[in-house]
Amino acid sequence: MLLRLIAIALLCGIAACSRSTERSLTIAVNAGVEGSALKAAAQEWGASKGVKVEVVELPYANLFEKEQLDLTSRTGAYDVIMLDDPWFPKLVENGNLAALSRDPDADFVGPCLDVCKNPYRSGRYYALPYVGNSQLFFYRKDLFEKYKLASPATWHDVLAAAKKIGDGEKMFGYVMRAAAGNAVVADFMPLLWAFGGDVLDASGKPVCDSPAAIDALRFMLELGKLSPPGYAGFNADEVSAHLLQSTAAMSINWPAWISAMDDPAKSKVTGKIEFVPMPGERASGVGELGTWLVAVPAASKHAADAFEFIFWATEPAQMKKAAQRGNPPTRKSVFEDAELRAKYRAFPAQLKSLEAARPRPRTPQWNEIENAFGIYLSKANAGTMPADEAMRAAAREIAQVVARGQAK
Amino acid sequence: MMRRRHAALPWVAPAMFVLIALSVYPMFYAVKVSLTSPSGAWTLSNFTRLFQDRLFGIALIQTVVFTGAALAVEFLLGLALALLIDSLTRGKSLFRAGMLVPMLLPPVVAAVAWRLIYNPQFGVLNGTLRRMGADTSALTWTSGDASALASVILVDIWEWTPFLFLLLSAGLQAIPQEPIEAARIDGASAWQILRDVTLPLLKPTILLALLLRAMDLVRIFDQIFILTQGGPGTATETASLYIYRTAFRFSNFGYAAAMSFVLLAATMLFSRGLMRLLRSPK
Repeated sequence: MLLRLIAIALLCGIAACSRSTERSLTIAVNAGVEGSALKAAAQEWGASKGVKVEVVELPYANLFEKEQLDLTSRTGAYDVIMLDDPWFPKLVENGNLAALSRDPDADFVGPCLDVCKNPYRSGRYYALPYVGNSQLFFYRKDLFEKYKLASPATWHDVLAAAKKIGDGEKMFGYVMRAAAGNAVVADFMPLLWAFGGDVLDASGKPVCDSPAAIDALRFMLELGKLSPPGYAGFNADEVSAHLLQSTAAMSINWPAWISAMDDPAKSKVTGKIEFVPMPGERASGVGELGTWLVAVPAASKHAADAFEFIFWATEPAQMKKAAQRGNPPTRKSVFEDAELRAKYRAFPAQLKSLEAARPRPRTPQWNEIENAFGIYLSKANAGTMPADEAMRAAAREIAQVVARGQAK
Repeated sequence: MMRRRHAALPWVAPAMFVLIALSVYPMFYAVKVSLTSPSGAWTLSNFTRLFQDRLFGIALIQTVVFTGAALAVEFLLGLALALLIDSLTRGKSLFRAGMLVPMLLPPVVAAVAWRLIYNPQFGVLNGTLRRMGADTSALTWTSGDASALASVILVDIWEWTPFLFLLLSAGLQAIPQEPIEAARIDGASAWQILRDVTLPLLKPTILLALLLRAMDLVRIFDQIFILTQGGPGTATETASLYIYRTAFRFSNFGYAAAMSFVLLAATMLFSRGLMRLLRSPK
C-alpha cells in the first residue's frame, strides 16, 4: 500500500514537472470586438508556435478589477493583459508592468505610442497600442445638405445646425450621453478642450473651475436643451439608438458604432451619417483617446513568449487582420491600406482624429477624479446645480482626491 | 464526557475549517486592511476620513431611504397579497406560482429589462402612456434627479414583493384556525380578527421576513449599478455602490473595508432595533 502511494506521488511529481516545462500563455482580454480580435490572433500564434494559449474574456467592468488584483498580488496568473489606456498610469506606477524588451517602430500613430510610455511621452515603453480608438463627430450629412449647412467646424456651428435641423425635421438636433461617471465626462472632454479648459494643469492642480471650463459646461447645457429628455441618464447605447432610429441628427461617438450606422439590419440611416474629427471652438477640435493597449505583467512566468506575442500581434499584417475583424488600427500604414480604405469609409477621418486625439490626464488617480468630475457634470445636466457651482464643487472634490494621492 | 467531546472533533473540524477560512479569516483580514495605510503602517485614517466624506454620508442616507421605502411598500403589498390569496377558495397554487416569477429572474436580467422599459423615448412605459394620450416629455424616470430613486425602488418592489408574500403566505397557513373561528363566533369583524388575532400570531414570521429583506436591501448593488450607476449626480448612490467603487475602481481597499464595517454596524443596530420593536409586548 505504502509503495503504491509513493509510486502515485512520484508519477504526480513527474506530471507536474512536465507541465511546468510546457510552453503556455494566459491572456486577459476585454469581452467584446476588441478582445475577440486579440483572442483570434492569440490562437493563431499559439498554433504556429506550439504554445498552449488560454484566453480569459472579461466584461469591461470586471477586467480592470481582475487585472489589478492579479498584478498587485503578483500571482502571475496572466502573461499578457489588454488594458484601456486610462488604467496604464496606475498599473505602471505601481511597478506592475514589465518594460518592453525593445522599442516599437515609428509606424504607430503618435498619441497611441505616447500613452505607452512612463512617464507620459518621455519615459520607457511598457505597452504596445492594439486598438486605435478616438472619438469622432457623427452627423447626418443628408440633413446638412438639405438645409445647406457646411460640415461643422466649431461647436457653435453644431449648436446652430442642431436648432435648424431640430426645428425643421421635428427631431432632436443633438444627442449626448450624460449618465454619471465615465459617460458624461467622455462627452464633455472634447467641449472642455475646445473651449480652452482642462481638468488638471501641468502640476496636477484641478483647473476645472476656470472660466473656460464653466463656459464649456454652459455650452453643454445649451446642447442638452436640443437633446432628448432624459439624456442625463444616457449611455452610448441610448445615444446610438437615437442616431440609428433617425430621431437625432448629431452626436459624439466612438468608432465601434460606425459599422452599426451602415448596417441596414440595425440602422434607418444607412450611408447618411458622416464621420469627421471633433469640431473646435477657441482651440482646435480634439477627441478623447481611448486606446486599448497590450502589456506584459511584471510577474508573468512566461515573459519571453508574452513579449514575442505582443510584438507579433501588433505587426502590420496582424493589425490588418484585426481591422478586418472590426478593430480600429493603431498603425498609420494600416489606416492607409487601399483595401481597407475601400471597405471602411471612415478610416481617413479616424486617422485624422487619432493623430490629434488627447488622452485623459495621465494620473493614477484618474478613476477617482473621473468619478468626482462625473457626479457634478451629471448634476448640472440633470438641472440640479448651476454650471459655475458644479465646476467649483468638482474642483474642490478633485483637489481632495489629488491631495490624498500625494499623501500616499 | 471529555472523551465524547473529543470524539466529535474530527467530524466538526472540516466545517470549522471552512468557516474559519471563508468567514473568520477574511473578517480579521478586513480589520487589518482597514487599519493599514497604503504604505503598510498602522493608521486610523480610514476611519477618521469617514467623518469628512460627504459622499459616503449621502450614500448612507440614501441607503436608509431606499431600505425604508422599499421595505415598507414590499411588506404592505406582500401582506395584502398573502391575505387576499389565502382567502381564495380556488386557484391558490396558480396565483402563488405566478407571483414568484419576478423573484426567479436574476437581478441583473430584471435590471436590464427595466432599463429598457424606462427608456424615455423607446421604452414601453412611456410608449404606453403616449398611446393613452399622456404627455411624457417630463417623464424621464431613471434620468430625473427627483424620479431616479423612486424608479429604482419601484424595480425592487416589483422583484422582491413576492419574497415577502411567500414568507407571509406560509406564515398564514401555519396559523391555527381555532382562535380565528372563536373570534368569528364571538362576533368580531374582519378588521378586528386581522388586527387582534391574525397579525399577533403572524408576528414571528413578520419579524423573520422583515429582517431578511432589510439585510438584503442594505446591500443593494446590482439593480442600481445597471439602472443608474448611482446617478444622476448622486441621486441613487448607495453605500454598497460607493464601497464597490472605492475598492475596485479607486483601489482603496483600506477605506472600503472601513466603510463596510460602518455599514455592518448600522445593519446590526437596525436589525436589533427591529427585533426589539417586534418582540415588545403590545
